[in-house]
Amino acid sequence: MASADDDRAIIEKLGYENLRRSERALRRRNFRIALLFMTPAVLLTSIVLLLPIAFNIYLSFTRWERFKGLDQFGGLDNYRLLLNHPQFETAFTSTVIWVTASLIIPVGLGLLLALMLRGIPMEGTFKNIIFLPRVLAPTSIGVIWFYVYAPHGVLNSALTLISGDPIDTGWLYTDQTTMPAIIATYVWQNVGLVMVLLLLGLAAIPTDPIEAARMDGASSRQVFRYIVLPLLTPTLLVVSMLSILAGFGAFDLLWVMGISYPGQRTLSLSVYMYFVGFNKGSWAYAAAIAVFLGAISIAVTWVQALLQARAERLRS
Amino acid sequence: MKSSLYKVLLVAAAVTATGVGSAYAGDVILNHDKNFWSPQLQAVGDLCGTKTGVKIVQQAYSPPDQYKAFIQSSIASGNTPDMFTWWSGVTFRDDLVATGQIAQLDDVWADMLKSGDFKEESGAPFKIDGHYYAVPLHFNRWVMFYNPELFKKAGITAEPKTWDELMSDAEKLKKAGITPFVTTTQDGWRGFIWFEELMIRTNPKAYLGLFNGTTHYDGPEVRKVFQIWGDMFAKGYFTDPRSNQEMQDFAAGKGAMDLMGEWAMGLMKDAGMKIGKDLDGFITPDVDPAAGPGLIFEASPLVLSVAGKAKPDVTTALKCWISTDAAAKWGEVSGNFMGNVKATPPNAVVSKVSDAIASDKSTQLYPRWWEAVPAELQGESVAALNSFMLNPTPATAEKVMGDIEALHKQYWATHKQ
Repeated sequence: MASADDDRAIIEKLGYENLRRSERALRRRNFRIALLFMTPAVLLTSIVLLLPIAFNIYLSFTRWERFKGLDQFGGLDNYRLLLNHPQFETAFTSTVIWVTASLIIPVGLGLLLALMLRGIPMEGTFKNIIFLPRVLAPTSIGVIWFYVYAPHGVLNSALTLISGDPIDTGWLYTDQTTMPAIIATYVWQNVGLVMVLLLLGLAAIPTDPIEAARMDGASSRQVFRYIVLPLLTPTLLVVSMLSILAGFGAFDLLWVMGISYPGQRTLSLSVYMYFVGFNKGSWAYAAAIAVFLGAISIAVTWVQALLQARAERLRS
Repeated sequence: MKSSLYKVLLVAAAVTATGVGSAYAGDVILNHDKNFWSPQLQAVGDLCGTKTGVKIVQQAYSPPDQYKAFIQSSIASGNTPDMFTWWSGVTFRDDLVATGQIAQLDDVWADMLKSGDFKEESGAPFKIDGHYYAVPLHFNRWVMFYNPELFKKAGITAEPKTWDELMSDAEKLKKAGITPFVTTTQDGWRGFIWFEELMIRTNPKAYLGLFNGTTHYDGPEVRKVFQIWGDMFAKGYFTDPRSNQEMQDFAAGKGAMDLMGEWAMGLMKDAGMKIGKDLDGFITPDVDPAAGPGLIFEASPLVLSVAGKAKPDVTTALKCWISTDAAAKWGEVSGNFMGNVKATPPNAVVSKVSDAIASDKSTQLYPRWWEAVPAELQGESVAALNSFMLNPTPATAEKVMGDIEALHKQYWATHKQ
């Protein structure tokens, strides 16, 4: 094994200039090796992600409708249509409602469950039961709940049993009940994941400040408000941003459960985009909606990064 | 080392090739969206392979939206498949054929008509400006299917010949505790079925006017239809439209009659019904006798691309498809009528309908609403019709008529009538 004296002797022998040169050569070689290892990932990302995104942006500026117009430049026409289309407005409003509900309810309920379950006997069993729906495919969940909400389904049968009067409400057929019914299913599916993430966040909170506060006579509410919540903020931020992004991309549950609802096509922007593209063949307009959705996702991620950095600064 | 690497690559290529599909050089691919008929289409394809040496290999894309995307993007990028199915009506005439990439089949039709295998009316949906652009994949008429056992139970001894008789039978069924008609908004597209039927039974001319903007959806002709339809709902003549098991409901006897295309008989059989026992059909009588004899038809075109028609194997495959043997096979395995009158009819109901049409030369065939309405308006309009079925009140009818008319008015303002 070479000692520090040996290294010094070699350096003196070769001279510093030669050493710098060989260092540069070594760095170049390392870079080439790194590039070689990175190439498959870069190629894969470019082919399956960046190229389709670029192509989609290009499509949004064409006039492609069903069989023609792919080679015609339409400028900002599709974006103008998007801003003036009443159905887009309805779909956007529905999406905002959906995102708000699918953020507030699962995060609120997830936090409550995390605080309630932490440290209780059989915590693991309860966690597994609540997390279970998350491992099922959203389309399977959609089909299961479609039948739960059916006119002669489980929900109405239970309500009939409780009330004593026959109830055959079509939960997935009316303007008033379709969205709330699907949101309830979404919450059922996702609250487990939110709870597990928040439990991980709670576990990472140091116990010293909590114990110190308690010794100083702080109530449980004060401990939660002034110690736990600020320290849990980074986790809450991540969970919230993931919920918002998932909310804007929501499709499967809305598609499967909303199949019989006459207003299905405007239940969310993703569903509207599918309808406009695949059903009507207005591909260029659908591409513009996709760009709009992509822009929202980038903006949300950017805001999340900013807030995360701010939270880290405050914590340190 | 190198040689073993090549071997691995060759094996991988072979495995990939066999995994991708079982078509070989000389086979002709038939692209379609009717996944539920894949085995039946292949049975005809195999028959053609034996008969002509050119095997038709069916290739399904499902659901239909994905299929549309595949064909539209293929054509838009100049790679039209050699042989594929599409829908008749506006999307066929104004969109597909207008691309200029679909081959004219006048020569093929000349032979089909000369041989007497097909009649002019089977080709009408595919004829544009005097030229044929497709042959039929199927040619279905929309009839009233019924359950003879339930009719018997209600004391009905003969099929209704007039609208009054039909309504009287509905009342008898109701009194016997049987709901007369099965109806549903299943899969989101069925809203137009009763609407179109009542339109052609009251005023077929006005029905055709819906497709060029000359009939208004809030006009008196449509208003009358909603009135009759709503009245039937009010009398309890329909099953719960929220059920999404139409065929199972019909087979289980939840309703005595079901208005559907002839193609549905395969599904009814799958649900357990048997022609001659608990399944039969008749042509719905006119509400207004002045409407004259007529039926809704639904025809799926089978087309060739211009490049495809230049290939001898592809033309051989197409000619085999329309041959009497293939048509009989198609009818036997799928229950579909293709329009080849020399082929053995698929079943007794198809035979009965064909005989009824043949016996009255004045019978008119009307295009199905779904194919006849502009593609841009299909989705919203049918959703509005569904919403009426879910809440069949006069107020909903007013709203639905107004909403559909607004959509169509906007469309016809920018499109030629």
